[in-house]
Amino acid sequence: MKLKQLLLSSLVLMSTTVWADPTYRLFVTNEKSNTVSVIDSRTGLVETTLEIGKRPRGIGLSPDQKILYVALSEENAIAMVDVATLEILGKLAAGEDPETFDVHPNGNLYLSNEDDAKATVIDPKSGKIIHEIRVGLEPEGVAVSPNGDVVLVTSESTNMVHIIDTTEHKIVANLLVAARPRGLAFNSTGDLAYVSSEIGNEVAIIDIAKREIIKKVVIDLPKSKPMALTLSPDDKVIYMTTGRAAKVAVLDAETLEIISTADVGKRVWGAVLSRDGSKLYTANGVSHSVSVVDTASSKSIMEIDVGKFPWGLALDD
Amino acid sequence: MKLIQTWLFALIAMVSQGSIANVMDVKLHYVGPTEGSVWLGMQQGLDEANLQGEFLGQKYSLQPISADELVELDSVTAILLATDVDHILSIAQSKQFANVPVFNMISDSNELRTACLANLLSITASEKMKHDAMVQMLNKNPESKAHAQGWHKDFRKFAASQLNSRFTKAYGEIMDDDSWAGWASVKLLSDTVARTQSMDAGVMLKYLKNDIAFDGQKGAGATFRDTGQLRQLVLIVENNKIVTEAPLRGVKGGLDSLGLTSCK
Repeated sequence: MKLKQLLLSSLVLMSTTVWADPTYRLFVTNEKSNTVSVIDSRTGLVETTLEIGKRPRGIGLSPDQKILYVALSEENAIAMVDVATLEILGKLAAGEDPETFDVHPNGNLYLSNEDDAKATVIDPKSGKIIHEIRVGLEPEGVAVSPNGDVVLVTSESTNMVHIIDTTEHKIVANLLVAARPRGLAFNSTGDLAYVSSEIGNEVAIIDIAKREIIKKVVIDLPKSKPMALTLSPDDKVIYMTTGRAAKVAVLDAETLEIISTADVGKRVWGAVLSRDGSKLYTANGVSHSVSVVDTASSKSIMEIDVGKFPWGLALDD
Repeated sequence: MKLIQTWLFALIAMVSQGSIANVMDVKLHYVGPTEGSVWLGMQQGLDEANLQGEFLGQKYSLQPISADELVELDSVTAILLATDVDHILSIAQSKQFANVPVFNMISDSNELRTACLANLLSITASEKMKHDAMVQMLNKNPESKAHAQGWHKDFRKFAASQLNSRFTKAYGEIMDDDSWAGWASVKLLSDTVARTQSMDAGVMLKYLKNDIAFDGQKGAGATFRDTGQLRQLVLIVENNKIVTEAPLRGVKGGLDSLGLTSCK
């Protein structure tokens, strides 16, 4: 009996150290409220609001989903939050004006420093900046490939996607794309990546092995300013936020044609998809809200009020 | 023998390095002042063009020359002018530059737009665009004492704040209409070189007139009208504060509600 208990408790202990149970919390940065809204994604209710720091923008989770990272653009720092307890654990120095970042499978953060034309690599374990890579003007989107071999960075005012090798931390290719590239997303195998261009109103597909653009399409949607991209778990569909068009465009990932659209709030920027792909959450800047889109029907099923100018989202599911 | 081998090896290495680098050396000829707003704006544009060029293999330089020296040249990539209306017209109309992009960077004279010269590109907003912007404003608010301009140091939207801040950081001056136009002119040209991979004046002119969608950090991708005017919004400013942007909300025609839109 005692042995059984011991075994059971050690088993529980083991599983918790390896992988925490999901909290189903949806975290939203509110750029002009200096807060993060914490929403229970199962109910759509705001659980609490964290005072996080100045101008929070980029947001993401550690590979084990235990720590939430938030880029504080006007504090030149990344805040760390315990996903389970919501305790603010501290801040990492992040170089000038960190805007957005992605997390490498090894736990390192790759981030863009918008005002400083560089990408910075931070090891959160040591809290040290381990590399700086010179890129084009106004770097914005960052995406690490699923296996971590390469990282892509867009530079908005130099109209490029930089492909960076993560072993040497060197740029291996620079691809010219339509004006003001912003969002990036890899497919699940990492052989293709997608890039959106806000001013060029275009989406392009990058062949990672060939290091070239293999397709580009102008988005046929009034007022559209392509922003964030995210792929469905089966890699067949791209969800793209469109800024002033106040819609999510659902694109065929192969042809880049619009399959459907979903009405969401005004100036929609960030987006995150649930792990099962059934729901898409969007940050609607001017509406100060988060929309929940049912992806099967391409319909917005809920709008949740958050802080001022919500920017990005992360979901622990 | 060993020496010859090393020497040959070095030679091969040099040649192959040259062919890999293959840097395009792009010279932009300029007539105008070499200090003040437009000059600093061009320098900012040049810095940005050369950063892009580092990644893509171009090196840009500005060649300030006198009006007399300009007419002696016969092969140029592009001509940037911050001179008076008569001079700009005479350069754009001269035979040797018929197929060369001639940039009127800072003159707002309507005459340069109504001339409808195929190679003349006007970057700053025209007098008529600013006038039409004010008509829209007065229709909405007849009491308005505002005026219209092309750029403002407090303009923030469309990443204008980033451009304002990097210009001020680099040169310690605020960005105004002329410095924006100088910056935009060089960037329009570097965008064209990067995308066409050509320095040929005719190829550049064709691309500029037909294909460019330029990010002037003033909103939608900027294109040129038949008149040679760069389409762009205009700011309504009162007491040095931005009141609103023209075209005003609800006005039909979008950006083409401002200024002369066609040569027909």
